[in-house]
Amino acid sequence: MAAVSNAAGTDERALVEHAQAGSRAAFEELVRRYDRDVLRLALNLMKRTEDARDVYQEAFLKVYRNLHRFRFECSFYTWLYRIVTNVCLDHLRRRQARPEDQAPEIRTIHQEEGGTDFFERQREHRATLDPERHLLGQEIKAKLAAAMERLSPRERIVFEMKHYQGLKLRAIGDALGTSEETVKNSLFRATRKLRIELGVLR
Amino acid sequence: MSGETPHVCKDVAELLVFYACGEINEQERAAIEKHLASCAGCKAQLASELDFQNALDALPHASEELDPSGILLGQFRSELAEQLDEIEHPRSREVRGLGWLRRWMGLHPLWSAATLVLLGLVAGVESTQWFTGRDNANALAVVNVRPSGPHLTEDQLSKMAVAGVNFMPSASNAGARTVRVQLSAEQPVELSGSVEDTDVRSVLTYVVRNGERFDSGVRLDCLDALRTHAEDSQVRGALLAAARKDQNPAVRLKALEALRETTADAAVRETLLEALQHDSNPGVRVEAVNLLVRSIEGGPAGVVVTGGSAEIPEVPHDVVQSSAGSAENDSMQYVIRALEELQHKDPSRYVRMRSAAALREISVRSDQ
Repeated sequence: MAAVSNAAGTDERALVEHAQAGSRAAFEELVRRYDRDVLRLALNLMKRTEDARDVYQEAFLKVYRNLHRFRFECSFYTWLYRIVTNVCLDHLRRRQARPEDQAPEIRTIHQEEGGTDFFERQREHRATLDPERHLLGQEIKAKLAAAMERLSPRERIVFEMKHYQGLKLRAIGDALGTSEETVKNSLFRATRKLRIELGVLR
Repeated sequence: MSGETPHVCKDVAELLVFYACGEINEQERAAIEKHLASCAGCKAQLASELDFQNALDALPHASEELDPSGILLGQFRSELAEQLDEIEHPRSREVRGLGWLRRWMGLHPLWSAATLVLLGLVAGVESTQWFTGRDNANALAVVNVRPSGPHLTEDQLSKMAVAGVNFMPSASNAGARTVRVQLSAEQPVELSGSVEDTDVRSVLTYVVRNGERFDSGVRLDCLDALRTHAEDSQVRGALLAAARKDQNPAVRLKALEALRETTADAAVRETLLEALQHDSNPGVRVEAVNLLVRSIEGGPAGVVVTGGSAEIPEVPHDVVQSSAGSAENDSMQYVIRALEELQHKDPSRYVRMRSAAALREISVRSDQ
């Protein structure tokens, strides 16, 4: 993703300026540049299509309404992600306030026996020489989704952006409007919580 | 496993997490690696961290599970564009651009055909008032959604049917007719504008091109609306398609009539020749004869069958042959040959008479 923002850098300023001047085409081009990442983040975080839709729409409408305030003090990408992550955090917090609303759309298993099609498919991908380690891997997978639900919204978004979006901690800090050190703490806490939940670490 | 884990140095534990995910500077890396060389506990801990990271990598992402074919992106973009339309054109609760339809058609090519089944044309003097809402003078088309739902669902669109077909000249703009396309469904949608308008024209030509999906009455009315715009290549292409393949002879005839002023176009002549030779309907073949003669003469088709002779007067081959001009000799010769064949072999006596008269007319004119 960082590569995307770099490659797009040269003409991006012009594009943003056109969009600020009211060009709908320029705005839609900006959307097309980044919305794939935004949607991926929203889906991975929210785990439900409807919620991801809300995040997508709300985030880009906020970008549209606030574009005139963007002063090129950071990259457009960073600015965009600040908005996106804020919207995501809002939605996660709201969801946590409604425990009945937390069931993910994707089927996950919590039982020890494990073998649903969801994880069976993984077995195909990962040939293993060590059956014990393999079983451990299956167990981790089976429990991870449920464990993720128990992280705080901020820990979750940091963990998500690091592991699934492949962002550097510095970029995550920029997006969240916080320091790299804070992000590190969140990531460490998230990792430790997950590993404890998964029984990997006492 | 955790029970067997040896002692992990507390100050190193945190660093191992970042070491495993590549978030560590060179200085820290060197220090850790030096430590790992002499600490079995931390070394085991690192292996465990790496296992964990690998397990994460192998887990399918929710985004892949929820949107395996990647269709959500297009859908969400389309919905966003609709919302932006709303913001940019606040009146668009009642009046909105056709962009959504185009986008929707792009996203759902299979559904688009079904959508357009719903099109009917209605025009009215009152429809012109809708035009005032748009800031772009070139974008006259508007869609009026009633009741003011934000947009139609696929389900609604699938239930639509032809509402009715009408159009008439606009009172305020003499000459430029206003066309109103009416999509009938649970929530009727109307699109209004002149044929000059890209959206209106696209819808009309789509109907004409894809005749099998629409009622012939709708097709005829679309042709009527397009009749005066055969100079436009998109319109002409649709007229040619209808003339060649529409199932209904009345539609084919009307399409040919609409091409009346464009017989200088080679594609039009080719279509006329094909109709002349292969169209199953005698009326269409006669019209093709008339227009081909017109194309040769470069003026109004003056082919009129005079007299009620019981016998069809045959035009001698050599007379006609000599009439061929030099400019478009080949094309003309081909037309003449086709007419000659027609005057002998066409199953319809009326067509044979027309063909003979046409040949006579050509020879008379070329003699002058």
